[in-house]
Formats: sequence, C-alpha cells, structure tokens
Amino acid sequence: MLALDIRGVNKKYQAFQLKDVSFQLEKGYIMGFIGANGAGKTTTIKSILNMVHIDSGEVRIMGKNMAEHEIDLKQEIGCAFGGIDFYTRSKVKTLTDVIKKFYTKWDDTTYRHYLRRFKLDENKKIAELSTGMKVKYGLALALSHGAKLLILDEPTSGLDPVARDDLLDVFQELVSDGEVSILFSTHITSDLEKCADFITFIENGQIVNSAEKNEFVESYRLLHGNESQLRQVKERLISYKVNSFGFTGLIHSTDYVPSSDIKATTPSLEEIMIYFAKKEGANV
Amino acid sequence: MYNLVMKDLKLGVSPIFLVMPLLTGALMLIPAWIYVLVPLYFCWITVPNMFAGFKAQNDLLFTTMMPVTKRDMVKARVSVVVLLELLHIGIAMIFGIFTFLLYPDMIYYFFAPTLGFWGVCLAMFGIFNLVFIPMYYKTAYNYGKATFASIAAAMLFAGIAQWVGISNSNVADVFTGSRMDDMALQAFILVAGIAIFAAFTAIAYRVGFNRFQKVEAQ
Repeated sequence: MLALDIRGVNKKYQAFQLKDVSFQLEKGYIMGFIGANGAGKTTTIKSILNMVHIDSGEVRIMGKNMAEHEIDLKQEIGCAFGGIDFYTRSKVKTLTDVIKKFYTKWDDTTYRHYLRRFKLDENKKIAELSTGMKVKYGLALALSHGAKLLILDEPTSGLDPVARDDLLDVFQELVSDGEVSILFSTHITSDLEKCADFITFIENGQIVNSAEKNEFVESYRLLHGNESQLRQVKERLISYKVNSFGFTGLIHSTDYVPSSDIKATTPSLEEIMIYFAKKEGANV
Repeated sequence: MYNLVMKDLKLGVSPIFLVMPLLTGALMLIPAWIYVLVPLYFCWITVPNMFAGFKAQNDLLFTTMMPVTKRDMVKARVSVVVLLELLHIGIAMIFGIFTFLLYPDMIYYFFAPTLGFWGVCLAMFGIFNLVFIPMYYKTAYNYGKATFASIAAAMLFAGIAQWVGISNSNVADVFTGSRMDDMALQAFILVAGIAIFAAFTAIAYRVGFNRFQKVEAQ
C-alpha cells in the first residue's frame, strides 16, 4: 500500500515553479527528499499538506485524496518544520494540553511513553528545548495521536552530529513495525545514507529521480579521466569539473559505456546533488 | 471550533488582555470624561499586541498543520475578538453604573454612559470588525495596515458621533440631557447597536473567510 502518492503536481510562482512533481512512498519505509536550498522541497511538502494551492495534480495519502479528505487525513499525519518554532514561551505541558484536544485518537499513555523515551521534561518551555529535543517533541506529539505518516521538513538541520545520529536511530525504530512511514527532506545527504530506504531528488522544481537508495546511486557513475577522455564523453555527461589532473564528471549509468581507461566509481548522494546543481548553474 | 477558541485563549491571548477590560473599564469612573475612548483602548492596545503575538509565534502555520477547517479557523478567531470586545463593553457598563451612583448630579458635555451610549460603542466595534477582519485575512498574519485602517474607521465614527452628540440638540438630549432616563429609547438604541455590531461582524467573518480560502500558509 502506498502511504504517499503524488502525481503530476504543478505549482507556479513568479520566480519559481514545481513542474510535474510525482513520486510514491510505500507504507513502512523512510524516504529522503533531497535537493539544494530553494530546489522546491518545502513547497512540495506544503503542497502535500494542502498548505499551498496546487495548480494541477493529485496528492493521495493512504489511498485517499488529500484535497477531499484533508481533515481526516491530518488526523493520521504528523508534520514538523525544522527551524520554525511555535509558542516558544509556553510550557511543553501547556502546548500538549491544547494540541491533544484536536486529535480523536490521542493516547496519553503513548505520549507519556515517548516523553520518557526522549527524556522530555514537560515543565520546560519550548524555548528551553534544544533543537534536537524540539524535533523529538514534535515526533512524540505525532506518534501520540497515532500518525501513520510523518512528513518532516529538514528535521535534522541545525542538529549536532550526535543528536542527528540519535534522531536517525529513532526514525528507523519508528518504521520497524511497518506501520509508520516517513518522508523527510534534507540537504544533509549523509543522514540519508544512514537511514533512508528511498531517495527522491528534486532540482529546480522538478523531480530528477525517485528510487530505492542503492538503485538511485547505481543509476549514476562518477567518471575520472584526462582531458582527451573528457572530449570522448563530454556530450553525455550531466556536468563535469576540470582540474589539473583531468576531469571528474557525473553521467547516467545508461549513458556510460565501460571503456578502457576512464575510471568510473559509484557517486555519493552529495556528489549527485552537486553535479546536478552544477548542470543547472551552467544552464542559467 | 471550541478547541480553536481555547487554543487562542490559552496560547495566543496573553492573560493581561483578559484583565485589561478591568483597567480600561475603570476609566469610566473619571467624571464626565470622553467615555467613547474607553472601548477604543481595545482597538489601540489589545488588537495590535494580540495579533503581533499570533504572527511572532507562527500561529498560522501551527494551526494549519492541525486537523481543522479554514472556516473554523476564521470563526474561532472572530469569536475571540468578539468575546474580548464584549468583555470590554460589559465591564465598562458595570463601571458606568457606578459612575451614575458616584456622581448623580453630574452635568455631561460628552456622551453619558447610558444604555444608548453602549449601543453606539457596539456599532463602533462593528465598524472596527468590518474593516479589520477582511483586511487581516488577506494574509492572515500581517496586521499593520488592517489595524491602522480599522482604528481610523472606528475613531472617525466615534468622533462624528460625539460631534453630533454635542452639536445637535436632539441627539444631545438623548445622550446627555433630559431623555437620558427614557429607558425605552435608550434600550432601542442599544438593541440597534447590537444589531449593527452583529450584522457588521457577520459580514466581516464572511468576507474574511472568503479571502482566507485563497491564503497559503507561510
């Protein structure tokens, strides 16, 4: 079953546009949504949550159309926007008391469990929580109202490596029973190498690729060679960098013909992002 | 809707704004003052501060993330404004009774706190809502222009009403003269004020909701 099914979403702004955004997330998996700053990650997430009005396309969550069943589906979605805080001068307890009233399946026992699990002090004010603790508080809220889909916009931004690693462990634990699915956007690609099952890559408002993680990286090759070899493959490269030793360039695996001397390696997610960004820059 | 009202009262509206009607209402005890200024303090102080708080705390995004309809979001916010307005008027009315008891022989130049006067104040709040709510819901977070325009409209109405109340002998008679004790007339003006307040606020809610439907959460 698909937890999230996005098809042909278009949204046009004056200086930016989402173009035919489509991808699917299977129930019980983690999908990393990557892209450079301004690539369209947050706009896509806001489109999923019906926070912005899409021009065309369809968003289905757990088989239901989001536009038609927004209120029902929001009972089953937990979302958090990294770096955006709400009512920071209120105590955790006060905020929870207000929020829980909106959810029909709120479970206090589950909430208490996650407060202990995440070592959250209810009497602290939101402003007194560290960035990592704020994300965990958001997760505790979402899980206490029985959210089956977590949509998290840059939840790991601003976290130190220890807190990031801890949070990624939590993500993996949450999906382990196959009931919860997570879509989280980030530009920190090392997070995804650790815990994502699927990768969706957006660049300049368009989905470049959405696939299982290994399949995703295997669909590209990073080539290293000298200047004469560059001339042989230049036209097929997504983009390349020239240095004093020769060149390094990214190519689609399907466009790569194994030849004698050009060294090919599997790129990291970061390298894929960088070379695609370079291509966009070259086209401007 | 009830949960949204409680959310605003518990998180968004500082307790000082629930106590403020006691302080502004006490201004009614100043003998023969310009009492129409008393409810205006709500527009001058409570509204901009309260809406600045909603903006600073990202209330729009916070509320949009929850399972609530846009209609309920507007209805709840308008209800909170109306609740505070009625609190200001209600408490000021109680102080107004004491004003009559404390100064039974007072000669009024500006409006006396008769029942009819509170009708005028409610009509003023109706005008305030009619301008503020539709303008605010163009963005649902920017409140500056809406506050300025709505306060200007309310003050203009208050100024004209008070000027007529002084310069026109018939009107002066009703609010500061011999017809102050004409309870039927006073009650009629109060009911008319309530009707204007209710009608203008209902229109403001409808226009506000229509505009809010086009708003995208920022």
